[in-house]
Order: sequence, then C-alpha cells, then structure tokens
Amino acid sequence: MIEYVVRRILSGLIVLFLLSTFLFFVMRAVPGDVVRLQLADAGSVTDERMAEMEAELGLDRPALAQYASWLGGVVRGDLGDSLWERRPVTEMIIERFPVTFELAFLSIVVAVGLGIVTGVASAIRRGTVTDDGLRVASVLGLSVPNFFLALLMITSASVWFNWVAPLSYRRPWDDLGVNLQQMAMPAIALGVSVAAAIARLTRSSMLEVLGSDYIRTVRAKGASSRLVNYKHALRNSLIPILTLIGLQFGALLGGTVILESIFGLPGVGSMIFRAVEQRDYPVIQAGAILYGTIFVAVNIAVDITYGLIDPRIRRS
Amino acid sequence: MNTPTTPTDDLPSGSGPDRPPDTAADRSPAGGSTITEATEPGDGERQTPEQVALGRRQRFAESFRQFRSDHLMGFLFGIVILLLLLVAIAAPIIATHDPSAIPRPPQKLAPPSTDHFFGTDQLGRDIFSRVVYGARTSLIVATATVIISTILGTLLGAVSGYLGGWVDLVIQRIVDAVLSIPVLILALFIASLLGASITNVVLALSIIYIPRFSRIARGEMLRIRSAEYVTAAEALGAKPSRIIFKHGVPNLVAPIIVLASLTFGQAIVAEAALSFLGVGAPITEPSWGRMLSTSREFMTVAWWSVVFPGAALSLGVLAFNLFGDALRDHLDPKLVR
Amino acid sequence: MTTVAEQPDAGPTGGTVDGPVLEVEHLTKHFPIRTGLLQRTVGHVRAVDDVSFHIDRGETLALVGESGCGKTTTGRVVLRLIDPTSGTVRFDGQDLAEVDADELRGLRQRMQIIFQDPYSSLDPRMSTADIVGEGLAIHGMASGQAQLDRVTDLLEKVGLSARDLRKFPHQFSGGQRQRIGVARALATNPELIICDEAVSALDVSVQAQVLNLLKDLQTELGISYLFITHDLNVVRYIADRVAVMYLGQIVELAETEQLFTDPRHPYTRSLLSSVPIIDPELARATVRTPLEGDVPSPSSPPSGCRFHNRCPQAVERCRHYAPVLVDLNDGRQARECPEYRPEPFGLTAQSYRESELLNQGTEAGE
Repeated sequence: MIEYVVRRILSGLIVLFLLSTFLFFVMRAVPGDVVRLQLADAGSVTDERMAEMEAELGLDRPALAQYASWLGGVVRGDLGDSLWERRPVTEMIIERFPVTFELAFLSIVVAVGLGIVTGVASAIRRGTVTDDGLRVASVLGLSVPNFFLALLMITSASVWFNWVAPLSYRRPWDDLGVNLQQMAMPAIALGVSVAAAIARLTRSSMLEVLGSDYIRTVRAKGASSRLVNYKHALRNSLIPILTLIGLQFGALLGGTVILESIFGLPGVGSMIFRAVEQRDYPVIQAGAILYGTIFVAVNIAVDITYGLIDPRIRRS
Repeated sequence: MNTPTTPTDDLPSGSGPDRPPDTAADRSPAGGSTITEATEPGDGERQTPEQVALGRRQRFAESFRQFRSDHLMGFLFGIVILLLLLVAIAAPIIATHDPSAIPRPPQKLAPPSTDHFFGTDQLGRDIFSRVVYGARTSLIVATATVIISTILGTLLGAVSGYLGGWVDLVIQRIVDAVLSIPVLILALFIASLLGASITNVVLALSIIYIPRFSRIARGEMLRIRSAEYVTAAEALGAKPSRIIFKHGVPNLVAPIIVLASLTFGQAIVAEAALSFLGVGAPITEPSWGRMLSTSREFMTVAWWSVVFPGAALSLGVLAFNLFGDALRDHLDPKLVR
Repeated sequence: MTTVAEQPDAGPTGGTVDGPVLEVEHLTKHFPIRTGLLQRTVGHVRAVDDVSFHIDRGETLALVGESGCGKTTTGRVVLRLIDPTSGTVRFDGQDLAEVDADELRGLRQRMQIIFQDPYSSLDPRMSTADIVGEGLAIHGMASGQAQLDRVTDLLEKVGLSARDLRKFPHQFSGGQRQRIGVARALATNPELIICDEAVSALDVSVQAQVLNLLKDLQTELGISYLFITHDLNVVRYIADRVAVMYLGQIVELAETEQLFTDPRHPYTRSLLSSVPIIDPELARATVRTPLEGDVPSPSSPPSGCRFHNRCPQAVERCRHYAPVLVDLNDGRQARECPEYRPEPFGLTAQSYRESELLNQGTEAGE
C-alpha cells in the first residue's frame, strides 16, 4: 500500500514536471509577448523601451537559462514574480486561493448532498413518477452548461425577486452573511452538474447492490428496509461515487475560472484567466501547477480512500 | 466548465463487445441459422463475396432495429442530433435575417415577435438567425474536434497498447500530463496562446480530447492483444499493422463510439465556454457562447437574449448525452441504469 | 554434439527421406519476475528448461503434463510466438532464430496452431469467411471469389457448409467453433499443426468428432501434429509418441504403447495411475501411486530431481543429484532415476533398495 502511494505520487510529480516544462517552452514559442502588451497598455511601444523592459524582467536571457532558474525556484517553493503586478506569484495565490477553495468546497457539498439524496430517493422509488422526474432532472443537470445556469439564476433572482448579490466581495471571516450570499449561486451552478452525475451513479449502483445476494440475505435475516437501504446498500455504492468525485474535480476546478469571472470573485480562476490574456507567464505556470497538483492529489486521495473502504483493493 | 458525464469510468469495456449479442444461438447450437432465413443459401451452394458482405450489413441492420426498440429516447434524440446538423448545414435557408446585419434604424433588444422569433440583441441583430448560425459554428467545431481526436486518439492508443515498451511509456506519460489539467484551464491556455479562431479552438480541444480516446483505446488494445484470436493472427503471419487495424480497431470501436458521442456534447460546451471567455470563436462568427457572454449585461431587461442561445446550447448537449447513454447501454447491456 | 533430436529412428515413422519436420534442441524459456518500484527482476519462472524433441512428417507427438508444466509455452516458443531464452527450433531444417521477421511470417504459412478455447480464439467481429480466409489473405494465396471457394472447401472438409460463411463466431456452438479453428489452421496447407489443448474445452462426444477429423486430415494431407494436452485418453488415441513434461523438463519420451504399458519414470507412472481404468480386472491389478501435493513453483524448482518432493520412490540422494535425460535401451528416453539407473546417484541397485524413502507415509513435500 505504501509502495503504491509512493509510486502514485512519483508518477504525479513526473506528470507535473512534464506539464510545466511543456507550458514553459510553448508559451515562449507562440506570438503575443508580454512586453509589447504592457508597453501598449502604458501608451508607447519603442524598440528601446522593449529591450529595456525585457532586461528588467529577465526575458532577454536564453530560454533554457530562464527555464533553469525558474525550475530552481520552483524546487525551493518560489514560483517567480508576476510580470504585471511585479510581486511574487506565491503571494497572489495565497491571497486568492481561499476564495477558489471555498467555491470548490461549497460546490462539492452541494454536489454530494443533492446527488446522493436524489440518487437514493430515485433508487428506492424505482419505476415511480418520482424516479422518472428525478432522472429527467439529472439528465438536464448534466446537460445545461454551468455558465448558462448561472446566468439564468442571476436573471430570475433579479427579475422575480428583485434580488442581487452584494457587489463587492467579502471574506467569510469578515462578513459570513454577505460572503454566503455571494457564494450561493456560483456554488450551486457549479455543483449541479456534478450532483447530477453523482445522482445517476448513486441510483445505478444502489440498484445493483440492492439486487445482490448479500442484501437479500440481510433482508432475510429481518433487517428493516431503512437499515438495508442506508447502511448496507449505500455504503457499498460509495466507491464508484468517490471515483466520480475524483474525476469530476477537474471539471469543477475548470468551472471556477468561468464562474469567478461571471460573479466577480477574486479567486485563482479569475487570476489565471487574466494572466492568460496578459501573457503573464509565471502566473500561468503557477496556475497550471496549482490546478494540476490539486487534481493529482485529489485522485491519489480517492485511491487511498478506496483501500480504506474496500480492503480487497489494498492488495493489488 | 460543465462536464456532462465522466467519459472514462463507465464505458463498455472488457468483455462487453465480445459477448454475443444474440444468445439464442448459444442456447440451441444448431439453430443459429434461423436469423436470416430469407436470403439463406442452401447447403453446398457457392457464395460470392458480395453475398457474404451482405451478412455484415444484415448484422448492422439487426443491431439498429434493436437500438430503436430498446432505446426509444436515445433514438429520438439521435433524430434531434440529425435535425441540429440539418439546421447547421441549411443555416442560410433557415435564418430569417442576416445574422450580422445591424438594421437601420436598429431595433435594439426587441422582444420576440413574428418578425424576430427570438427577439433582437443589444445591437438590433436577429437572435433567431444568430442562434441558427451559431449551430453551424458549434457543430463545425464539435464535429471537427471529435473526428480528429477520435481518429488520432484511437490510433495512438491502439498502437501504443499493441507495441508496448518505451513508446507506450512515453505516450502514457504525456497522456497523464494532459489529463491531469482541468479541461477548461488547458483549453484556455492553448486557445489563448493560439489566438481566437475556429481552427485554433478545434486544435486546442483536439489536443485535450486525444488523450482520453487514446487511454480507452490502449486499455482495450491491451485486452485484445492478450486474446487468443490475436495470437492466432500472429501465428498466421499477420503484420502488426494488420493486427491493429483488422483485429484491434474493430474490437475496440464500441467504447470509442460511445466516448465520441459523449465527447461531442462536451466539445459543444467547451467551445461555448471558450467563446464565452472571449478566446473561442472570433467575434465575427455567431456563437452561442459569445452570445451569452455579450448579452449577460442586458439579461435582466431582455431575457430572450440569454435564454434562446443558452437553450439551444443545452439542447445540443442534452441530445448528445442522451444519445451517447443509449448507445452505451445498447453496446453494453450489462450496465443497466 | 549428440542430441536426442538427431536420432530420427526413435519414432515409428522414423527414417523419412526429408528428415524431421521439426527439431527442437535445448529449448529454454525463462520469464523474468519483476517487482517493486523499479520493476527489478527478482527471479525467473523457468517455464521451459532444456527441452529437446523432434517430430517426423506425418507423425503426432503428444506433449503431456499437469497444468503449469510448460507445455503450452513450449508450443508457443516452437512457433516463435514467444522468443526463446536459448536453444534452437528448426522447422524443415531451417533455424527459426536465423530468419528475419518477414521470412518468419512467410514460414507461418507452413506451421499452424489450434487453440484450446474456441471462444476466445476466434475474432468476434469477423465472419467465418474472414476468419478462415485470413491466412490466405495474409500470404496472398487467394482473394475474392477464389478465396471464398477455398474457404468453402475447407468448411466442408471440417463438416460445416457454405451457409456458415457469413455467420459470426457467436452464432456457433463450441464444437462448431473448434471446427472453424481447425479450418483456419488448415487454410494455408501447413506441414505442422500445434494443437494446444485443442479438444480439452469440448464435450466428450464432440472431442471424438474433432479428434477423428484431425486423424483423417493427417492421413489425407500428411500433416504432423504436436499435440499438447493433459488428457491421457486423448493422447493414447491420437499420438504416435509421447513426451511427458514436469516443471519445464521432459521426464520421459517414448512410443505411445510403450509408455502406456510400461512407464518407467515414477512421474509417468503417477500420471498414468491418475487415469480412470474402466476394465475392472485391470483396475484391481494396477497398483495406484497417485500424485500428492501441488506442482512446485517453476520459479524455484526443487533441487536435485525436480520430482523428488512428490515422488513415492525418492531417496535422500534424489535431493542432490540433478538427473539428465538419457536413452534407455528400449528406444525411449527417460530422466535418470535410481530405480533403473542408480549409478549417477552414487548408488547401487542394492543400496537404493535399502535406502529410506523420502516421502514414505507422509504428505508429499517438506
């Protein structure tokens, strides 16, 4: 088991290394450079000013040398400085990450809560109108893109209830009420599609488990059907659900980019989006590494959790 | 971004496609010949290659009829997909206005009427026509992406799975690297680096979707490679290319088709999301994503400018999801939902 | 170098003008066992260990043994479907290690294989016409109508018909599928067919049909068979000579009748005594020495004689001396055993009889 975890982490690191190397060189190979963009922003683009600024930002050095010093920094935990804000990327991430984390966390809560309840209800009432309705709802949930859902929510809240979330962002520890008002819609919009996927999977794996021999044995022994449903059937349906959450986590993180920009949340997602537009290389690279690390870590954690839930998997 | 379903975890794989769809023949070993009685040749009669090829077509027709009767919903949404394709192809005929024309005087944000079925946007352009042309953008991107990533991904996976060794190792590490970055983030990187154009969106999305096809194809190929029928072909002197194309691809095509149909829906969302963020389709092309993005400022005063493009987008994704699900159940009846 | 394979008179049809169709010398196949983070090789499974035999034209040699003894691997290595670790395989006098990949593919036209599992050995996505015709297509022997006619002929030869051409494997029963496998193997007119447990998966009645078919085809076409099986009844029915394998090695190789009526090596005797005897008188007269325990792991075979830990006749010396395959005077080969060759073990017939038996009265193994 330990060897397996070590191997997973090692291969995860290799993957992240490949990814950042690839991004580093591709970004320097494609047109549209940061110096020109910044000078255009400031009003005057002259060759002299460009050379000056390149030297200032260290972009005049050979790509390999830049790469070496960047990689050296990464190993020491220094992700470089933003080429626009002229301050450490690490600092920016520390500032913004809590926003994205809160959004992702709330979405997972929405997804798991809504998904499992819907899925279990659907499985227990299999074949009824409730089941049909919930299944249609989950197919819709899977198909309506989250940014469209977000727009619909904003529109209907404002048209029907004349309600608009407070505009300027507040941190949860500053003003939890305002913060939750601001987070509710993006978290729901982001969580719904994952919830729909979880609901479908919960339903099908519950049905499978409920039809299996050992559940019939438990029933035959006289266990109440509520106990059967929750304790035995649900627990054994958890493994595929966990995998699904692991896989969906990537989509969720990606979703933060678009939802943070719709709802004006100052998170990592909107930082990456702006960095991409501005060709702020160190920020883009840091973002890729951050999201890659989270995604890989979540999946390793899911794998390890398997082992805890199902002892059979531990051996292989 | 909204990922409609998980593409990699619940596809028919393993023994799925190998299992005889028609178990009647197993129950009565001698009675397998009852299926195609009408054109059945008599004993000792010679057959031409054309007649034999007919058997394959009959098998397909059989499977199609089965799909229609078992998965009516999926079948109907298959028709919806065809209709969407038709709309995309016949956009100039169906559209009532020039999608980019700004009439003078402009009727800005006019509600739906008999002249403008879906109303007009903030510049006075006809939303119905823009939605129709948007189908074109959306389906061109999705179709091209799915075709490119299916073909390249399947080839890459099949070859790397069959050959193994260091080629496989290198390809798998690259695949892992690409799969470990959230789709939208990666698409955003690639598309913004390349610049906003239809070709670049297709390129970016293909790069992102190739690995998932190659992963599935590789897994299937590993299974196929160890099957005795492949050993048999090797013993007959078949070259690797023959084994990959004659034995590998036909046997791994079922999960790939399902993945392709689900990826179709995801590609539509991804294109819309990129256009929404302004790095997708160029500003000159009507695109559902960009329509949503530009009209969100006006959505409280003109709901139609958001609802219609969004509904079209959702319908497209929904159709591909339901069709893909039905296809999966059809190709692997073991997974009952 | 004198080897077993170079003595063609050992077989009943020995002494053919052309020489044997297949000669196998010192064939060895070790599979590495890898483990750990770096996939280090920590040992080897000695699936096939120094195996030599030959097959004459029109002859059937059976390779028998318990599962895991390396007989299937031997078959695959003989066809170069797996590369050997060492040793040579000569097909029609040609060393298979010396031909390049293209030449090897060409040679495959002349040597074929029939598999055990009629379900997994036919491509489920191919019609019968394509499956049986594949060899013809690969070697450019026939195409279009000519190919189809040849396939039809082959199907009729194995008891199927033209109406089966367009069917797919799942539409056939196990026996019918095995016939398709036979037809596929016959398509390229091979001189040698390796039958890897070719009838083991079939019902007894179907088994007999397929065996008869194979026998008829041999008479008609002069094909040689390497018949790999664990079923001694099948062996007795079809084989001219029999090689008995244990843990990757041949322990005894003799003509079929000789082997069944007078087995010499203790393992052969144990194997034979596990076959049910139908004649009650014979059954009473037979002393049963059934095998006990499991086959040891081929990754760490027992020292000395590999059979010593299960052998009812083993003595202390058997743990230390590794016996070699020798010619006995009656035309057969057997691995040395103190029972009939005490000298290499440092024993005499007298001292062997007086030695204490290793596995006496206890469960096999140590």
